[in-house]
Amino acid sequence: MANIAKKVSWSSRGDEPAQGEGTPLLNGTGAARYSRQFSGGKLFHIGRLSTVDLEEEIDEEESVVSRPKEIPHNEKLLSLKYESLDYDNSENQLFLEEERRMSQMGFKCLEMSRWLVCALIGILTGLIACFIDIVVENLAGLKYQVIQQNIERFTETGGLSISLILWVLLNSAFVMVGSVIVAFFEPIAAGSGIPQIKCYLNGVKIPRVVRLKTLVVKVCGVICSVVGGLAVGKEGPMIHSGAVVAAGISQGRSTSLKRDFKIFEYFRRDTEKRDFVSAGAAAGVSAAFGAPVGGVLFSLEEGASFWNQMLTWRIFFASMISTFTLNFFMSIYHNKPGDFSNPGLINFGRFDSDSTEYYLYEIPLFIIMGAFGERESYCGNLSLALLHFNGPVLFLVFSRRAHVSFTPAGGLLGALFNVLNYWLTILRIRYIHRPCLQVMEAVLVAAVTATVSFTMIYFSDDCQPLGEDQLEEYPLQLFCADGEYNSMATAVFNTPERSVRSLFHSPAGSYNPVTLGIFTITYFFLACWTYGLTVSAGVFIPSLLIGAAWGRLFGILLASFTPHNSIQTLADPGKYALIGAAAQLGGIVRMTLSLTVIMVEATGNVTYGLPIMLVLMTAKIVGDYFVEGLYDIHIKLQSVPFLHWDAPATSHSLTAREVMSSPVTCFNLVEKVGTIVDVLSNTSTNHNGFPVVSRLSDGCEPGKICGLILRSQLIVLLKHKVFVERARSRLNQRKLQLKDFRDAYPRFPPIQSIHVSQDERECMMDLTEFMNPTPYTVTQETSLPRVFKLFRALGLRHLIVVDSDNQVVGLVTRKDLARYHLGKHGLEELQLAQT
Amino acid sequence: MVLLLKVVACFVVLLHCSRAQASSFEVNLTVLPSFIWDDVANRLNALPSILTVSPSQEPSFHSSSDLLLSSFHGDPEISDYCRELLHIFGQRYVSYVNCLVSSARPVKVCLNCFMLYNRLTDIYSNISQVGLGNESCQVTLLRSDRLMLVYELYDKITDIWKTSHCSNCLSNDSLSSDALHYMAKLNESLRCFESQKSNHSELCKECKASYKVLNDLYGRMEKNKSLCIDIEDAMNMTRILWSKSFNCSFPREETVPVIAVSSFMLFLPIIFYLSSFLHSEQKKRKLIHPKRVKSSNSLMNIQDKHS
Repeated sequence: MANIAKKVSWSSRGDEPAQGEGTPLLNGTGAARYSRQFSGGKLFHIGRLSTVDLEEEIDEEESVVSRPKEIPHNEKLLSLKYESLDYDNSENQLFLEEERRMSQMGFKCLEMSRWLVCALIGILTGLIACFIDIVVENLAGLKYQVIQQNIERFTETGGLSISLILWVLLNSAFVMVGSVIVAFFEPIAAGSGIPQIKCYLNGVKIPRVVRLKTLVVKVCGVICSVVGGLAVGKEGPMIHSGAVVAAGISQGRSTSLKRDFKIFEYFRRDTEKRDFVSAGAAAGVSAAFGAPVGGVLFSLEEGASFWNQMLTWRIFFASMISTFTLNFFMSIYHNKPGDFSNPGLINFGRFDSDSTEYYLYEIPLFIIMGAFGERESYCGNLSLALLHFNGPVLFLVFSRRAHVSFTPAGGLLGALFNVLNYWLTILRIRYIHRPCLQVMEAVLVAAVTATVSFTMIYFSDDCQPLGEDQLEEYPLQLFCADGEYNSMATAVFNTPERSVRSLFHSPAGSYNPVTLGIFTITYFFLACWTYGLTVSAGVFIPSLLIGAAWGRLFGILLASFTPHNSIQTLADPGKYALIGAAAQLGGIVRMTLSLTVIMVEATGNVTYGLPIMLVLMTAKIVGDYFVEGLYDIHIKLQSVPFLHWDAPATSHSLTAREVMSSPVTCFNLVEKVGTIVDVLSNTSTNHNGFPVVSRLSDGCEPGKICGLILRSQLIVLLKHKVFVERARSRLNQRKLQLKDFRDAYPRFPPIQSIHVSQDERECMMDLTEFMNPTPYTVTQETSLPRVFKLFRALGLRHLIVVDSDNQVVGLVTRKDLARYHLGKHGLEELQLAQT
Repeated sequence: MVLLLKVVACFVVLLHCSRAQASSFEVNLTVLPSFIWDDVANRLNALPSILTVSPSQEPSFHSSSDLLLSSFHGDPEISDYCRELLHIFGQRYVSYVNCLVSSARPVKVCLNCFMLYNRLTDIYSNISQVGLGNESCQVTLLRSDRLMLVYELYDKITDIWKTSHCSNCLSNDSLSSDALHYMAKLNESLRCFESQKSNHSELCKECKASYKVLNDLYGRMEKNKSLCIDIEDAMNMTRILWSKSFNCSFPREETVPVIAVSSFMLFLPIIFYLSSFLHSEQKKRKLIHPKRVKSSNSLMNIQDKHS
């Protein structure tokens, strides 16, 4: 209870100083507190909590006033720098006029051009994937060849530590390049980009996320980090790349290159752009895994909040085109035109021989693996309880086999990926925030990865002969007998994609359990350490690799504990590797539907659908019990105002009155330019939407709502100096059109760049034509879940709260809603912070 | 007939036991010496009669000798020419299989038997091409019944040929120069092994040069894809001798420098994180306070009650 009280009072502590300062604009800071108490009063189970809260608050009331209002970064913040997208169209008079002018034919052309854009998105995304694949293959090939020759030479003559240093240097050099371009040129390109795209599709405008520069940095960065031998994959960044391509093409111009092709002008607004971005994300997934359906479902599951059937069909089209393009060009690259065998960046190989069939009795085993996969992302000591929780019956039936293989692996793999990565990320945000430090960290990780890999290979005694059909391209012999090769090197001295395939498909006996065990542990920690570095790289492949390694280990141990003649098929560890990979990936990213389909499509085997689904289900259920998915954690740590599917479960007691911001800065229908400029320039109130009220004429009551106007619109109006006086003086002045707004989109100039003279400040501006005359409004008594639903379903940015006389009393925005979240102790409130 | 069965059985064994169990091989090997070439040739005269049994009469293979006789003279389907071809095919087949089995371990199937295989291919191509005049043995011999024995036999034996990659070691119906060169080098190494057999450490030094030449040659041939099973097997055996029996692999000697360098590398991140934790200033976030509605009376009341 003390803990709880502390937590709550923490948030209230922040409220105190502002109250002390008491600027008139930021009035009512206490209200947040009251609202919480209000909910506390109504809800029985947190009633006591709020009592405690109050007592502490009163204690601190005096002492805390002098405290600075700066706190270390944590996950319970909402950043001010993120704004919403205007998914809801502003249906002002200009827009309506233009729509009326358009003929039926015009709309048909629009529909056609939407399809055209989707085809282009697919083609370009496929080409980018192709480019990444070819460059990575060649550069990595070169690197491994150089190191291999070096190692071979020094195995004979002595001096292998020089090979080690060479490896370290090569890796560090590549990673340094990749990290420098990310850290110094485009920090948003760091990581896999999936959290960012998820936020974008959720309706949050992440600055610079869909720019051309980001794309270039992302592509180069991912090439460098994969070639640099980090524990990363190139699949996640494909999704981001696809999204950027989509956002770029659909606009028909590039602001960075200052080229305007004068096409697709209709699509220059958030609504259309966001639809295309979801298509681009799907195309990215599809190119990464060769899974077009999986791509569509990924967009559906992770991204698009707004969905209709036509959009789905178009997105599917883009995905198909993208995987086909990749396939087509890769077949040309491999000199086998027409041989479509490379549908994705990662190729799992085909699981269709007899030996990889599974039987009914194996399904429980797979489910256990699902729990196991999750358990890896949580503490080891919980694992046993978890197992029993997961199905005592299954456990009893299979205890003899399963238990033995669980104990060692469970003891070895105790740590959890997500929680470790969470703490690591907090550390990084707090302390390693300067670009040069970030580059140093990335280089160090690269060096350590190379060192660890080398040491593992060096001290491994596991030698295996190389089969004729094995995929190994850079075999290392080292101290093995001639004709045999170091089996640790097969897993480590290779790009991660190849290692995954090797784990899936190498015949039984290619790896010995010790090798796999050591590999799993080291790779687990390396991957966890690597994710979140300032390099662009994905987490899919490392997760698959970890999972495949322990899955294979599981399969081998299972086979060794079964009588030799009884169950033949248990002998094939490849399928356990596949299930393990699915379980691990599901345990880390917590995707369900799309991941199942992606795995099924990537393996080309529908019969594995059921076990993979069950495994992912188990992994998600068990995982969500402890901690969120990796992407959600990172979204939270970025302080993004992210709206989930539903409002927090216990938020029914809150109404719009508590949620809204108030008082609202409003404008009159005809407003003085000076007032507008002053309001827009005020840095302390960085508002984006302003309700327009009528105070004077028309017989309206004062403060009655007339419409809503956006900051971006006002800026365009100021820029074009659409003042009442001017219109009178120069009658033949060109009338402002919707095109002028589109031309400024998406980078509206800041207010500081617009010069307004003293004379002009006295002019008046008529907003009637430009404001949205039909904004959505709710009354003060509307409950939070209802407001939430409106926001989520309509993609709103501003929701005006009115009283019974239609007078504006408040404004609800995304940040007002996103600050409520369900913590460990009931409903908690996030704080707004400047980041 | 029994003989044919044996041939087939032996061949089946060959097919199915590529990773041969020694026992089954021995059984067959003991049978094989009784195959005397002339003997085979004589008895093969009876073969056509078996092959031309029409499908409806097949089931009782053993017990229908009288039936066979009755159909022997009266069968209109098979011409003398084709019977002759079939006869030769049988002879060559048996001799090839015979050769294969006898050179199964250590594997010499390419070097020893490629001539026989070429002869077999010749006769089969004779059978399968459209014959002189109207005669086409292709139809009568290869596809007139469900079993298609001649075709099947040839097909299986060709599979073995393909899997063994024998054609890589041949050029123009004789051993390729690469293969011969390799064999010469192999013999050199083996002679060296033989001479130094008593002292292994001496052997590792003395034979290193010749072994290295051999190994490099093999590596080059591997890249050119000019390896056949004979050479692969010979190399495997030599490598096992070298690495496992004589223990001449590279020793793991320089553990200390490797450990030193690695521990230095592993030490760097610790310094990095410690120093950035101690010296880098912690990033603080400025809290912003949103505008909220002033508390209403009812809320104040609740607060009053609680406090």
